[in-house]
Amino acid sequence: MDFRFTENQQDLIDAAKAFFIGENTAERMRKIAAGETVDNLWPQFAELGLLGLMAPESAGGLEQPLVVMAGVAEAAGYAGLPEPCLEIAGVSVPHANEEELSGQITRAMRSELRPHIDSSLADSGEVVMSIDPLRKLVKADSGNDQNIDSINHHGAVLSAAQLVGLSQRMVDMSVEYAKDRHQFGKPIGSFQAIKHHLATVYTQIEFTRPMVHLAAIKGGRAVHTAKVAAIDTAMMAAETAIQVHGGMGYTFEVDLHLFMKRAWSLCGEWGDRNYHMKKLEELVLEGDEPLGPGTTFS
Amino acid sequence: MNIEFTSEHTAFREAVREWLAAHVPSKRLPSFDTQEGFDLHREWERTLAKDKWGNVNWPEEYGGRGLDLTHWLIFEEEYYRADAPLRVSQNGIFLLAPTIMEYGTDAQKARFLPPMASGAEIWAQAWSEPGAGSDMAAIRTKAVRDGEHYVVTGQKTWSSRAVFADWCFALVRTEEGSERHKGLSKLLIPLDSPGLTRRPIAQLDGDPGFAELFFDEVRVPAENLLGPEHGGWGVAMATAGFERGLLLRSPARFQAAAARLVNLWREHKDRLSSGVSEQVLQAWMNTERFCAATYQLVSRVQAGASVSSEASANKLFWSEMDRHLHRTAMTIMGAKAELEEGLDAIDNGRWLDGYMFSLAGPIYAGTNEIQRNILAERVLGLPRK
Ligand SMILES: Cc1cc2nc3c(=O)[nH]c(=O)nc-3n(C[C@H](O)[C@H](O)[C@H](O)COP(=O)(O)OP(=O)(O)OC[C@H]3O[C@@H](n4cnc5c(N)ncnc54)[C@H](O)[C@@H]3O)c2cc1C
Repeated sequence: MDFRFTENQQDLIDAAKAFFIGENTAERMRKIAAGETVDNLWPQFAELGLLGLMAPESAGGLEQPLVVMAGVAEAAGYAGLPEPCLEIAGVSVPHANEEELSGQITRAMRSELRPHIDSSLADSGEVVMSIDPLRKLVKADSGNDQNIDSINHHGAVLSAAQLVGLSQRMVDMSVEYAKDRHQFGKPIGSFQAIKHHLATVYTQIEFTRPMVHLAAIKGGRAVHTAKVAAIDTAMMAAETAIQVHGGMGYTFEVDLHLFMKRAWSLCGEWGDRNYHMKKLEELVLEGDEPLGPGTTFS
Repeated sequence: MNIEFTSEHTAFREAVREWLAAHVPSKRLPSFDTQEGFDLHREWERTLAKDKWGNVNWPEEYGGRGLDLTHWLIFEEEYYRADAPLRVSQNGIFLLAPTIMEYGTDAQKARFLPPMASGAEIWAQAWSEPGAGSDMAAIRTKAVRDGEHYVVTGQKTWSSRAVFADWCFALVRTEEGSERHKGLSKLLIPLDSPGLTRRPIAQLDGDPGFAELFFDEVRVPAENLLGPEHGGWGVAMATAGFERGLLLRSPARFQAAAARLVNLWREHKDRLSSGVSEQVLQAWMNTERFCAATYQLVSRVQAGASVSSEASANKLFWSEMDRHLHRTAMTIMGAKAELEEGLDAIDNGRWLDGYMFSLAGPIYAGTNEIQRNILAERVLGLPRK
């Protein structure tokens, strides 16, 4: 029992985070939103080993477990990375041998709308616009009914992890803003109402992240709890962040909205709140899952 | 990351389970906020101690088993799973003991830890004063050095179970003329000292769970100073860290309550509005999150990390989770929620008791407003002024 990243794993995650934040600046995000072309990061994703993070060593991958991918996904969320790098590296690659992968992914996402994970779909499907200006959705058909548990597990965990990163980013942006913005002759961050709002979100994040890690390793009911917790935390983080930013938060000009809208869209992806809550109703309230002390990890 | 329990962990869990099955009293003990209940809970501490189950993570020389915190978590899981009695010695074993282990002299460790472990000496915390609650640095109770003694004069309040306990650990002003956080010290004081008067205070449920303590020139041997003289604030903050952080409330207690809540929902679901199931699941999910976070924290602590201001997030989470969980039970019980005992009372009034106590969670161990201040200023770095 050592529920921490190993030093190697943490180094990998830190390197990914530094790369995501360094490359995917707000300026880059705004360019994409405006339809301008930006640097193509895919060669670097590959070079850094991100795409093969979960692939077997025999295939040149790093053979890391899903929980490490979740650490990387949190970093990608934090950076607001628009490329579906996680989805490819964490969902498609590990299931590359499955038949009809594409249809299954669509089903696992529980929506006929999905980001263009593979270019073939982007070419063929009907493109739908999201409120997230960096997100292109394509309409895809639902494919056949196959066992999608593992795909679902990976997708839900990685979307939850990104939501944790996004929540953290929105808190950090709000803290910076609150230190800087003055009213009544003081930084607004010195007002207790502002402090308490942000402390509340911070606490929710601290009690969501480990749940996402547990969900990555254990699967099952932990995945549903993790996704619901991540959704609730992210929605709260976004609402708090806009409140702390005041009128500035309600503009297209301040970066906050880019992260907020990403959070909204990830909340509905890979099983929305209703889906995961219904699963928990079945398992916890109506099912015969063991409950109580000693049942979370064993 | 590795979340496997070793076969040794599993064997340990089984041994705890077996012992508890053979020893946990079949009937719930009366509240430890009454003399009768207190005595029975002390008896239970003796039973635990006799077979060395009271403090599995303490060094063996002080009555423990020298095991790590993962074992302690497993012990707690089995303990609450078996619905064993609450720990009347909690302020001693969870708050004072780690402080003594960190700051105490060898003589203090040898003197105080074994009787604490055996239940022979039960401890109360004496920090709050009428004028110093959240603002603990406003403490006025003073201790004047007189040869080999301190002479303590002043008043403490809200001291849990001090009516029945044997000793208290007090925070007092040892440096004359000092202000705020400076000049305070931690003293260990027998509650039957001459000049010390205890006045019981009835709590919300009517039982004398608190005491007010009046110190009138109480002579305390100087060797009962814990940690540096005038450096008591730092010592107290270490204790508060244990209180808010890990030890006082492990996840198992809440997970047991969440499992009982699910059963309560099952028994009553036909008359409940649809929103209640969401609340029950929310309560259950919170306990899962608390458990995951605690294991992660224990892994970090075992790898040498120390817990400081982040402990405040822990205290916020468990206290608000507990209140929400019990409020949900109150909702489910509906018209029967007000019943304290008797045949009509659901679970003999246990949920109502739990709800009342859950209302104290956001107050004791530093109010939740104070915890939010700490997080905002020391963790997030927002300006104090
Ligand atoms: C069940 C229970 C057991 C206890 N056991 C013990 C014990 O064993 N030993 C002991 O020493 N004490 C004990 N206490 C006392 C406890 O530590 C204090 O009640 C607590 O620190 C709050 O102090 P207070 O009661 O004076 O409230 P106050 O400090 O008067 O606070 C009243 C309200 O004002 C708010 N407030 C105060 N200052 C601020 C601020 N700066 N910013 C925002 N809001 C603020 C508080 O958050 C609270 O909501 C216990 C309390 C309870 C309820």
